[in-house]
Amino acid sequence: MFKRLRSLFRVLTRRREFEDGITEELRFHIDQYADELVRSGMSPGKAARLARVELGSLTNIKGDCREAFGVHLFDEFQRELSYAARLLRKTPGFTATALLTLAVCFGANLTIFAVIDSVLLRPLPFPEPGRLMTIFNTYPKAGVDRDGASLTNYYERRGHLPALASLAIYNYGTEIIGEPGSTERDPTMRVSPDFFSTLGLGPAIGRTFTEEETTSETNHVAILSDAFWRQRYNADPNVIGRLIRVNSVPRTVIGVLPPTFRFLSSDARVFLPLASRPEDRLPSRRHAGGNVIQMIARLRSDATPAQAQSQIDAQDAALEVDDPQAKMIADAGFRSLVVPLHADHVAAIRPTLLLLEAGVLVLLLIGTVNLVNLLLIRASGRVKEIAVRQALGASQGCVVSETLVETTLLTLVGGLLGLGVGAGGIRLLDALGYDRLPLGGRIAFDVRLAMVALVAAVALGVVLAAPIVWFNLRRHLGNALQSQSRGGTSGRTAQILRQSFIVAQIALAFVLLAGAGLLGLSLQRVMAVSPGFQSDHILTGQILLPWADYSEAARLTFVESLMDKLDHLPGVLSAGVANNVPFSGNIGKSAATVAGHVRRPGESARGHYSYGVAGDYFRAMGFSLRAGRFLTVDDSRRPERVCVVDEDFARYYWPHASAIGQRLWDGSGAGKDAEAFTIVGVVGGVKQAGLTENEAQGAIYYPYAFRIGDSIFVAVRTSLPPESLGLALQKVVRQIDADIPVNDLRSMDTRITDSLVARRSPALLAGLFSGIALLLTAVGTYGVLSYAVSQRRREIGVRMALGAQPSRIRSQFLSLSLRLLAGGTLLGLIGAWQAGRAMRTVLFHVLPLDLPILAGAACVTGVVCLAACLVPSQRAARISPMEALTEE
Amino acid sequence: MTKTAELLPGTLDMLILKAVSLKPLHGYGVLVRIRQISGDALEIPQGSLYPALYRLEHHALIAAEWGQSENNRRAKYYTLTAGGRRRLRDETAGWNRLASAIAAALNTTSEEV
Repeated sequence: MFKRLRSLFRVLTRRREFEDGITEELRFHIDQYADELVRSGMSPGKAARLARVELGSLTNIKGDCREAFGVHLFDEFQRELSYAARLLRKTPGFTATALLTLAVCFGANLTIFAVIDSVLLRPLPFPEPGRLMTIFNTYPKAGVDRDGASLTNYYERRGHLPALASLAIYNYGTEIIGEPGSTERDPTMRVSPDFFSTLGLGPAIGRTFTEEETTSETNHVAILSDAFWRQRYNADPNVIGRLIRVNSVPRTVIGVLPPTFRFLSSDARVFLPLASRPEDRLPSRRHAGGNVIQMIARLRSDATPAQAQSQIDAQDAALEVDDPQAKMIADAGFRSLVVPLHADHVAAIRPTLLLLEAGVLVLLLIGTVNLVNLLLIRASGRVKEIAVRQALGASQGCVVSETLVETTLLTLVGGLLGLGVGAGGIRLLDALGYDRLPLGGRIAFDVRLAMVALVAAVALGVVLAAPIVWFNLRRHLGNALQSQSRGGTSGRTAQILRQSFIVAQIALAFVLLAGAGLLGLSLQRVMAVSPGFQSDHILTGQILLPWADYSEAARLTFVESLMDKLDHLPGVLSAGVANNVPFSGNIGKSAATVAGHVRRPGESARGHYSYGVAGDYFRAMGFSLRAGRFLTVDDSRRPERVCVVDEDFARYYWPHASAIGQRLWDGSGAGKDAEAFTIVGVVGGVKQAGLTENEAQGAIYYPYAFRIGDSIFVAVRTSLPPESLGLALQKVVRQIDADIPVNDLRSMDTRITDSLVARRSPALLAGLFSGIALLLTAVGTYGVLSYAVSQRRREIGVRMALGAQPSRIRSQFLSLSLRLLAGGTLLGLIGAWQAGRAMRTVLFHVLPLDLPILAGAACVTGVVCLAACLVPSQRAARISPMEALTEE
Repeated sequence: MTKTAELLPGTLDMLILKAVSLKPLHGYGVLVRIRQISGDALEIPQGSLYPALYRLEHHALIAAEWGQSENNRRAKYYTLTAGGRRRLRDETAGWNRLASAIAAALNTTSEEV
C-alpha cells in the first residue's frame, strides 16, 4: 500500500515527465512495428498506418495507463475544482457573501475556541496533570469560603494520608531582586521542598530545595525561572552557586527551571523556600491560614479524589477532638476540600467562557443555515442543468463529488479568511484583558488552532453539501426538467425548507440578542453599585517593605515620613496608607472577638476584613463617617488602643445600640484587658472584593502601629487627574529609600473598572456576536425573499395583467415575512428563556426573563428583518406585467 | 499464418512477467518476445499491453528505466523486481497446477469413472 502511494506521489510530482514518457513510449512502439512491417515487404506509408491501427486509440491507452497509477482521480478532482472555481467566480455576489459569512463565523469561533482551549481544555503542563489536586480550608458559615491551608495543616497531613502520593504548599509574593541600585520588583513563589516533585517537573539545572532549607536561618537559596535566567544571567550554565540578592539578602542559586515550567497563571521569576518557625507549625495555628498559603497534592495513581477527601475528613475530625476551639470551628462549618487543581483554578471563569462558546456556536449555526439557504437557491437555479447532465449519463457519484468539491472549496477559503479574522480576534481579546484571565497567558494563535480550523472547514464543507446533494438527487428527472419551464412554480418542499431555515435563523439571532441584552443589563446594574466611597481622583500604589531591612519600628518611621512628604506634595489633598485597599485583589479576612458578644445558637465566628491604616486614609479614600471620629496620626503613637469599624460590622453586633465605646480583640478569643481595642468611630460600608460582593462581612480598621505588615498600599486624593501624580509619588518613595519601588500604580476608578473585566468583555463580545447574527439573518431573509419574488415573477405578472393592485402584491410578500418573523420570534422567546436560565450564574440582579430586554430584542429583530424584506417586496410590487410575461 | 489462441483473462500479466524475466525489454520487445516464446501461438491485443505494463510497474512487480534501443533510440526498458520474481514463481506454480488438473479432467475416459 505504502509503495503504491509512493509511486503515485512520484508520478504526481513529475506529471509532465510521466505524460511525455507515455507519448514517447507509444511512438517508439509504432515506429518499431512499422519498421518490422517494412522489413516484411510493406510500403512505408501503409506500414505506418497499419501500426497505428493495430495499437488502437492513443487517447484510450494513455487514459488506461493513467488509471493504472490512479492518477486519473486527481485529474478528475482538478477538473471539478476548476469547474467549481469557475462557477463561484461567475456569481461574485453569492461568493463574496458566502466567504464573508464563513470568515466571520470561523473567525469568531476560532477566537473563542482559542480561549476555551487554553483555559479549559489543554491540560496543565505537568505529567499526569489529572492527579494534581488542591486542598483548602473552608468555613462557609463564618462567611469565609476559602482560607487556603495553614503550615500546621501541611505538617500534620504530610505522609499521613495514604491516598496522596505527595503534598506541597506554596504562596505567591513579590520581592525586590538585584544589587543595590539595580533592583527590580519581581513576582516570586515560596514553595515547600516537595513542590516540584508534586508537580512532577523540577529544575533543568541544579537541584530542588531540601527539608533543611525550610527555616529562616537556612533558607538562603533560590531557584530561577528559565526566563529570569536568560534575561539576568544570559543563560549562563555556570549560574549554580552564584549569589543573588532577594530583598537585599544574598541567596545562593541552586537550580534553574525548564522553559516549559509554568505553575497555573503565575509569572514567578524566582522561587524561594517556604520557611517557617516551629511555633508556626503548632496545632494552635491550624486555622490561621488566612488564604495566604495554598496546598497542592498529587493523588496516588490508584486513588480517587473521593478517597483523599474522606481521609482528610477523618483526619480533621480526629485532630479537632482536643482543639479548645473545636466548637467554634465546627460551628463555622469547617471542612478541608480536595478539588482538582485545574478545574479549581478556572472555576470562576468557566461559566462565562462556556456561555461565550455557546454564543459563537449559535453564530456558526446561523451562518451555516444562511449558507445552506443561499446554496439551495443556487441549486434551484441549476436544477435543469443537473437534470440534463444526469439524463446524458452523469452518475450520481459525479453530482455528489461536484457539490462536495464546490462547498469544501468555499469553506476552505472561508476558513483561511477566518484564520485571519481569528488572529485579529485574539488581538482584540488581549485588548479586552483576556491575557489576565486564569491561564489566559496561554492563549495563542498556533498550529493547533490552524489544524482545528482546517478540520472544521472540511467538516462544514461536507455538512453544507448534504442538503444540496439531497436536493439535487431527490427529484425525478422528468419533473425537474418540467418544473422550471415556462409557467411552472418551484418545488413546494424546497420552499418550506428555505422558509423554516429563515424562521430558525430569526429565532437564533433573537436568542443571541436577548442574551447579550441580559449581560449588558447585568453589567449596567453592577456598575450602578456604589463602592461605598468616593472613588474618583484617588491614586493608589503598593509598596513592599522587606522584613530584612525594615523592623516594625522602621516601618512605622517609613510610613510617617512618607505621609509627611506626601502632605507637602503639590496637588495632594490628603494621603494615607493601609495594609490593603478595596479592589486590590487581596481578600484575606481574619477573626475578631467582640467583648460581651455571646454567639447565638448556630451562629459561628465571622471573618472580617481587618486592616491597619495610617495618615489620613479615610479622607483620602472618601469614606463617609457615620458616627464618632476617624483614626488620627496620634492613635498609632498612643498606648490606648482604639479602632474604627464599618457600619456592617456595627449593625451585625449592635443592631439596636451604638458601637462607639464597645471593645474588641484582634484574633479569635478574648485577650487581656489591656489589649482590647475601643471603637471610636463607625464608617460607611465599603465593597472590598468587588462590586458584586453580596455579603457585607464587616471591616475593622486598626491604627497602623498595631497591624504592621510587609506590604502597604498608599492612597492619595488629588485635585489633578490621579495618574499624573504617579511619577511624583514614586519620586517621594525613592527619596526615603532608593531601592523601594512603587508597584501596581492605578487610580481607584481604574481598579474598579479592571475588576469588571470578566463581566464587561463577555457583554461586549455577546453584543458583537448578536450584531453579526442580525446582519447574517438580514442577509438570509433578504436572499430568500428576493428569490421567492424572482421565482414568482411570471405569476405576479399574470395577476397584475388581470388587474391586481401593486399594494396587494407588496402586502402579500410583507405578510409572508411577518409570518416568518412571528414564528422566529416565538421560537426565539422559548430559546431566550432557556438561555437566560443557563446564564443565571453570571447574571447580577437580573432575572432570566426580563421583559424590557425581550421586547427590545423583538423590536430590533423585527425592524432588521422587515427592513430586509421591504426591498424585495417593493420590487415585487414594481414588476411590469409586460416584461414578466415576455421574458424567458 | 499460424493459428493463434485467445488470451485467457489474467494471463497477460503472467506472460509479461515471464518475458521480462528472461532479459530487460522495452514495450515492443515484450510483445515480440511473447509471440516468440509462445511459438507465435499467442497474439496480444496491442492496446492492452501498455496499461498492463503500467499496472505492474505501479505494483512494483517490474521496474522501468530509460535506455538505448538496438537502433539507438531512447526506449523504456522493463526489468523484473524481486517482488515480480516471487509473483511469477507463484503464478507459474498456480498455473501448472490448474493446467494439469484441467488436462487430467479433460482426459478422463468413461472407463476411468
